[in-house]
Amino acid sequence: MGNRWSSLNEKAAPYVFLSPFLFGFIIFFSYAFIRSLYFSFTDYDLFSIPNWVGIKNYIGLFKESLFTRALKNSLTFAIIVTTLQTIFALLLAVVMNQKIKGIKFFRTAYYMPSITSSIVITLIFIWMFQRKGVINYLLTLLHQYGLTIGIFLTLLVGIQLLLVVTEKLRGRPVQYLEPSYIVLSIILASVITYLLKDFGIIKPIEAKAVDIFWLNTREKVPSWAGPLAFPRPLGAIMILNIWTTVPTFMILYLAGLQGIPKVLYEAAEVDGAKGWQKFWYITVPQLKHITFLIVTLGLIGTLQMFDQVKIIGGQAPLESTITLAYYVYYSAFPGASVPRIGMAAAAAIILAVLTLIVVLIQKIFLGDGKDLRD
Amino acid sequence: MKIQQNYNSDINLKIKRRRWINVGAIYLILLLFSVLFMGTFLFGAMSSLKDNPSEWPPTLKTEQLSLKNWIGAYTLARQGGGSGFFGALKSGHEVSLQITYKYPMGIEIIPPEVIIPKRFAGHGAAALDLDKEFVADFVTIKPIEEINRVSNKDGILISYKITIVNISQKDFNELPMDLKVPHKVKFVKVTLAPNRIERLGMSQSWNNLVSGVIPYIFHNHFRVFNENYSRSTGKRLFTTWIFNSLFISIIKVITTLTFASMAGYALARLKFFGKNYLFVFILFSMMIPGQVTFISNYLVLRDGVFGFTKLFGGGSLLNTFTGLIISGLVGAAAVFIMKQFFEGLPQEMEESARIDGASTYQIFSKIMLPLAKPALGALTILTFQGAWNEFFWPLVVLTSPMDKFTLTVGLLSFKNTYASGAFDWGPILAGAIISALPIIILFFVFQRYFVEGVSFSGIKG
Repeated sequence: MGNRWSSLNEKAAPYVFLSPFLFGFIIFFSYAFIRSLYFSFTDYDLFSIPNWVGIKNYIGLFKESLFTRALKNSLTFAIIVTTLQTIFALLLAVVMNQKIKGIKFFRTAYYMPSITSSIVITLIFIWMFQRKGVINYLLTLLHQYGLTIGIFLTLLVGIQLLLVVTEKLRGRPVQYLEPSYIVLSIILASVITYLLKDFGIIKPIEAKAVDIFWLNTREKVPSWAGPLAFPRPLGAIMILNIWTTVPTFMILYLAGLQGIPKVLYEAAEVDGAKGWQKFWYITVPQLKHITFLIVTLGLIGTLQMFDQVKIIGGQAPLESTITLAYYVYYSAFPGASVPRIGMAAAAAIILAVLTLIVVLIQKIFLGDGKDLRD
Repeated sequence: MKIQQNYNSDINLKIKRRRWINVGAIYLILLLFSVLFMGTFLFGAMSSLKDNPSEWPPTLKTEQLSLKNWIGAYTLARQGGGSGFFGALKSGHEVSLQITYKYPMGIEIIPPEVIIPKRFAGHGAAALDLDKEFVADFVTIKPIEEINRVSNKDGILISYKITIVNISQKDFNELPMDLKVPHKVKFVKVTLAPNRIERLGMSQSWNNLVSGVIPYIFHNHFRVFNENYSRSTGKRLFTTWIFNSLFISIIKVITTLTFASMAGYALARLKFFGKNYLFVFILFSMMIPGQVTFISNYLVLRDGVFGFTKLFGGGSLLNTFTGLIISGLVGAAAVFIMKQFFEGLPQEMEESARIDGASTYQIFSKIMLPLAKPALGALTILTFQGAWNEFFWPLVVLTSPMDKFTLTVGLLSFKNTYASGAFDWGPILAGAIISALPIIILFFVFQRYFVEGVSFSGIKG
């Protein structure tokens, strides 16, 4: 009797272990997913009984300018942010992949934006993006001192060239980036720039404060891009988003960099490869799989961007920041008017399909998903 | 031979120089990036101390961080009868401060006019509390003494001593003050820097002369706690939100650890019908955005999980923590992490335990769980961080009353609370910094787990 009980117990074990997870998974994912799919073909409004309307919602979506705006915003956002954050994450990882003292501190410091909540970061950024905010102030400074900085840099390059060329004419083998000359050039260039400024030959430009509306504007940037231009508030969110996600992806890249065999670099050095050649012909191809992973994760994450739009809220016009995820929320809880659950669900399904397409493309390019763990 | 030697030492020197310049350049780049990644936070944190974080031009100079003002705030609070770090204006105590003005040549010398205004520091309900008594009705201002006068070629510097006495039997903890001077008279220095200088420098105002050092430095942070009260219970909202977030996050960590390790173990080691399909389905679910499922989940909670809660006398689960917790007991990603971890463990111990007659339940609790400590550690951090930072789902579920908010949703409400006309950025920034602190502290203590968490969840794609 006891034996049979325990064998029954053994058979039930997997289901016992899984049941708490399955409870949530079935009700709050599977059922919810199917129900959303069903709602997308109805005219449900949270209160009355849903009526089947076929694909009317999907057609309606593409006729609605707010939705097409959201779709366009989401796609632009996903593509630009993913591209830039992948590049920055790689470059940052290469810089961070050094064996020098204190590197751990820097890795920790850089990771801070990634662990903080979206609301904290977005609030700080809204504050910085105010008309009289930090970002506009830094731009003003750049505008005022642009000439001075330009003169300094020109002097720097000029002096360095002069030093190197005179040495070369004397027949000494020096490189263009000879360290001691760089130090000398920096000192000379600083002194000359300072003197020029002191004698009033160059002055900071008396420019008005830069007054860019980062959030409360319908303007599109870049202005020359025509139909490809995106609203400036969306650009502000892009900056914010890149800033928060670069550190996370940098850590993935760092793990990848440490896995590249040193032999490859040594062989390349024997063949006389320069720094950037090693980067381009060894580092980049070796990190191919990680890059694929990062691009996929980036696209999935950016397509779902919601928090920043909600938090910026009234600070920017709705059309300038709306994304697919926000469109879904906005249609379901529009505030004063009647909820349009049918439309919301249809938009949500489109968002899901877009995400799945991204994943599918990745699977096709990489073959089996197991490759990702390399 | 000599030439050869020279050449060698030349090469060595060159290599040394290059290495030195390279390391220098790398440190420089690292430092620049630090300014970018950390500077934003630090500048935000610093500005949250300021009286006006939106000042133009933005500066790093913060009155609240100057030693001179700390000493000033301490002395004034001590004079008022407080401890110095926290202040008061007790019965019979007198508070005096020194202020210096510069009178340009040809301007008639009139000492500043001292006003104790009938106002309370702050905003909203705290400032409109009608039962409070104005300190202005209980103090007298002593005649202003001139204590020093220095003339130089473009004006006269005059220092005054202003003394205020609490002549009543009551104790106060607030003493606002305004000073008014004629046009063109310049304010030079004072014991404690004024909170505002208005009307082209003709008026200097202090919110509270006797606040004490700590409330002086963190006055925006105190405002966050002191100015937001619940309408129904009268409790401090911000404190409530912190405890709400803490409560929900801790419960979530417990349920996630328990259920994810159970499900992960079953998926990794046990045989059951449809295992592979279930796993693929879990992977699928991790890619579906929350916006797809939230409509149905909202309805499920509204109807009390198919009316189930009504059996226990409950109603709708919207605006309840039960609803928020029950809909997020364990995430698919957590199950995935635990599955991957258990798959990587050696099978021998398990097999020998089974030969000794241990049941699956015993193997799980006595052998596998103790082995899973590193993964559980990373998962704890990851879950806590996720729950603390979660925004979308609490925003949908918790809409009223404000007592029910989590910290993230509560912070969003600050955008309405502190936006009458222009934004009052002080408390908004202060609230944001306070709410980020627990995670930042956690991060510095458990760095390793955070990084492991990234590589774990990075695999999921």
